[in-house]
Amino acid sequence: MEFFERFAIPHPSPLIYASMVGIGLTVIAIVIGLTYFKKWGYLWREWLTTVDHKRIGLMYIISAILMLFRGGVDGIMMRLQTAVPDNTFLDAQHYNEVFTTHGIVMIIFMAMAFIIGMMNFVVPLQIGARDVAFPRLNAISFWLYFAGAMLFNISFVIGGSPDAGWTNYFPLAGTDFSQSVGVNYYMWALQISGLGTLMTGINFIVTILKMRAPGMTLMKMPMFTWSALITNVIIVFAFPVLTIALLMGTFDRQFGTHFFASTNGGMDMLWANLFWVWGHPEVYILILPAFGVYSEVIATFSSRNLYGYKSMVGSMVLISFMSFLVWVHHFFTMGHGPLVNGIFSVTTMAIAVPTGIKIFNWLLTMWKGKIRFTVPMLYSIGFIPLFTIGGVTGVMLAIASADYQYHNTMFLVAHFHNVIIPGVVFAMLAGLTYWWPKMFGFMLNERIGKWGFWFLSIGFCLAFFPMYITGLDGQARRMFTYSAETGFGPLNMVSFIGAALMAIAFILIVYNVYYSFRYAPRNVGQDPWDARSLEWATHNPVPEYNFAVTPEVNSSQAFWDSKKNNHQLFKEKRSKIHMPNNSGVPVIMAGFFFVFGFSFVFSIWIGVIIAALGIFACMAYRTFENDHGRYISLKEIEETEKKYGGAK
Amino acid sequence: MMKELFPIKQVMGFVFSLVLTAVALAVYFLDMSFQLGMTILLVTAFIQAALQLVFFMHAGESNDKNAIYTNVYYAIAIALVTVFGTLLTLIWGYM
Amino acid sequence: MKLDKTGPLEYSTQQNQMNILGFWIFLGAEIMLFGTLFASYFTLENGVGNGPTGAEIFEIAPVIWETIILLTSSFTIGLAVHAMRINRKNATLTFLAITLVLGLAFLGIEIYEFTHYYHVGATLQTSAFTAILLTTLGTHGAHVTFGLFWGAFIFLQIKKRGFTPETTNKSFIFSLYWHFLDVVWIFIFSFIYLKGLM
Repeated sequence: MEFFERFAIPHPSPLIYASMVGIGLTVIAIVIGLTYFKKWGYLWREWLTTVDHKRIGLMYIISAILMLFRGGVDGIMMRLQTAVPDNTFLDAQHYNEVFTTHGIVMIIFMAMAFIIGMMNFVVPLQIGARDVAFPRLNAISFWLYFAGAMLFNISFVIGGSPDAGWTNYFPLAGTDFSQSVGVNYYMWALQISGLGTLMTGINFIVTILKMRAPGMTLMKMPMFTWSALITNVIIVFAFPVLTIALLMGTFDRQFGTHFFASTNGGMDMLWANLFWVWGHPEVYILILPAFGVYSEVIATFSSRNLYGYKSMVGSMVLISFMSFLVWVHHFFTMGHGPLVNGIFSVTTMAIAVPTGIKIFNWLLTMWKGKIRFTVPMLYSIGFIPLFTIGGVTGVMLAIASADYQYHNTMFLVAHFHNVIIPGVVFAMLAGLTYWWPKMFGFMLNERIGKWGFWFLSIGFCLAFFPMYITGLDGQARRMFTYSAETGFGPLNMVSFIGAALMAIAFILIVYNVYYSFRYAPRNVGQDPWDARSLEWATHNPVPEYNFAVTPEVNSSQAFWDSKKNNHQLFKEKRSKIHMPNNSGVPVIMAGFFFVFGFSFVFSIWIGVIIAALGIFACMAYRTFENDHGRYISLKEIEETEKKYGGAK
Repeated sequence: MMKELFPIKQVMGFVFSLVLTAVALAVYFLDMSFQLGMTILLVTAFIQAALQLVFFMHAGESNDKNAIYTNVYYAIAIALVTVFGTLLTLIWGYM
Repeated sequence: MKLDKTGPLEYSTQQNQMNILGFWIFLGAEIMLFGTLFASYFTLENGVGNGPTGAEIFEIAPVIWETIILLTSSFTIGLAVHAMRINRKNATLTFLAITLVLGLAFLGIEIYEFTHYYHVGATLQTSAFTAILLTTLGTHGAHVTFGLFWGAFIFLQIKKRGFTPETTNKSFIFSLYWHFLDVVWIFIFSFIYLKGLM
């Protein structure tokens, strides 16, 4: 029995027990459902072992939406708890756990997964490729992400949630102050999914550099692909920092080292430093693909060429480097001198310049354009003013001396939600709606989509703008309650109402998926949006091999050229197509990683050793394996093309 | 046979790397100031790294030469920013 | 698969070229990984607490041996790739084997070094300095260990399958990895040991 005691939750509550039952029932329901409908084989053949970038992209996006709801529930719980003074819905410990998991789930398991899923689906299509450079590695990336996400999500029912904030500052995150295994979960869930992200970074850089269609020089790539390239460059150089920080954190917690302790020569602020050396570039990893989506959407629905292509690219390249030069602005109040604060204050303000350039480019793209107010375009238009407000408050925070007032208050919380929600979340919803017909062959309902947009935007403003005010008035972030005398009550209630409206928005968006799946017409054709870039030159939904014939392009909007300027995209004759084989190794390997992480969290060394051997066995299997892929025959291609209408 | 298997470029590279190691060891065996020692170490270490990159790793031999060099320089630049930025923040600039 | 017969076999297919470029980018990430370890090392270097300083525990002789052995192994893996390019299978295998034996010797000395640290009371738990020292050396050592297995697997594959686009590609990439570990060691040698002993 002693062995099992470690899995108990240190801080149980009825909510957690209810979730436990809920998770148990869901798992049982899934298993029974799959068995009853005899879908295990289908699941294994078509999804678990797939190396197809489109399916991997979809799995990323589905996981991201699940995580959006998990993180969203956390968010609503926080707003509910602080809606009125002296509320007792959550106690202090539970509140700590909720804001910690909200942050990690939303950043790492929702936003990252969403953008990587979007890149997976779109980038190979935009550059006219058949798949990514390393399809097998791509599957490993996804399954490592998934293993990490699951590991993180079981924490609150087995052993206890992390509770030291998503920034996980030491010494609070050390064993003295966080005694449960929660922070161990944090370390391993991030480590495992971070490895997957790093591999994605390498994979996409090589894909974009080496697999572009003939004629597509770097300066003729669609803007989303450019943003993906820059994002992945940042991923490759930022994530190793996190790897090391997490490793040191694990050592501190589980092997008794003193890296981040205040005794025996340790330095607690080293964690904060390393965390933000990764963490600030991470912010740009999130926002650049969003910029890419907006560039595509705004150009398409303004029926105009993207304004200032070169300055768009230039500003992103600049951002990719500058994003590594600003991290100290996250802890101006740590106690270093005016020289350090001065330097990082200036670099932080400077990085707003390239971002501003992009805002003007979008505005000038719309200028004199024929704007169509579709759902993706509404999100893009909503993004511009809202994001600008977030950017301006960011410049306020960049002023080191003034930061002493804002630091650690709700003002900061308002600021980063103000850039992340209209920035990343709006972009992902815009992109999802925009590329939905590409993914599934039917459109999402515009009317419900617009309701969703308005609920989300108004809900967002109500939820987060009051925090600017309460923050300036001194409401500290991460406080689980406050007294009525502070006067924070009414504005916090407004925040809660805003959060509720946002929840309704997400329910509407999900309902829209259901509604459109039931009622939307299936024959949307190849080009439902009158779009411009190469991904629209193939069928909806996309066949397995993407393009029957490799397209040849001569501009960043090759598809538009083929429609309006008589550019001939497909010159070669059809021939058999080489495709990679499916493989079960990635998902099995990720399973071993999950066991490895779980055993490590609880210091069950036998499990760690067995899982590590399993991981190495998978690698060894791979190196000795002889897999040359397979060919799709010409006959099969002809049949598929005929089924789609045979036009191309 | 020997000549075929031991190309002069690689042998010279190896000898040069041993020489650089010997020069670096001078900071241990000879008495010198910290500044001079660090200067010697910085010079020898970076030459040594460049040597491996160009002579042994053939960084410039393929069509992807520009991508490879950009990648390496970018990584080195950001690594240096991280090392010196961290030291500036946590040691030198700390009040 | 289209084969390009003009260049070395390891570059002959599109996939091979992508593998090599991808590995270079991975090495870029590795530069950052070790860069972070060095940043932490320099930050915590003086955080010795009640434990020993670097100057008190470093021994120059094993470090010189480790350096010479690793430099030589970097040379021999370079020769292995060269032999591969002039299509000399036995010579390639011999140089690869020498490389792996030297790697093993390096690892042996490093293990000796670690036991020495243990005996003089410099363990992971002693101080922040000893912890970051052992973590940095350990990360490098773990890379070498991983490389030994990887190299051995490639040895077996060349022995069995001869030079194919796949085996030559793997060998070349392995040589990049091994040279890189040598570069990292040069920095450890210069800025951990020699700087500490100066």
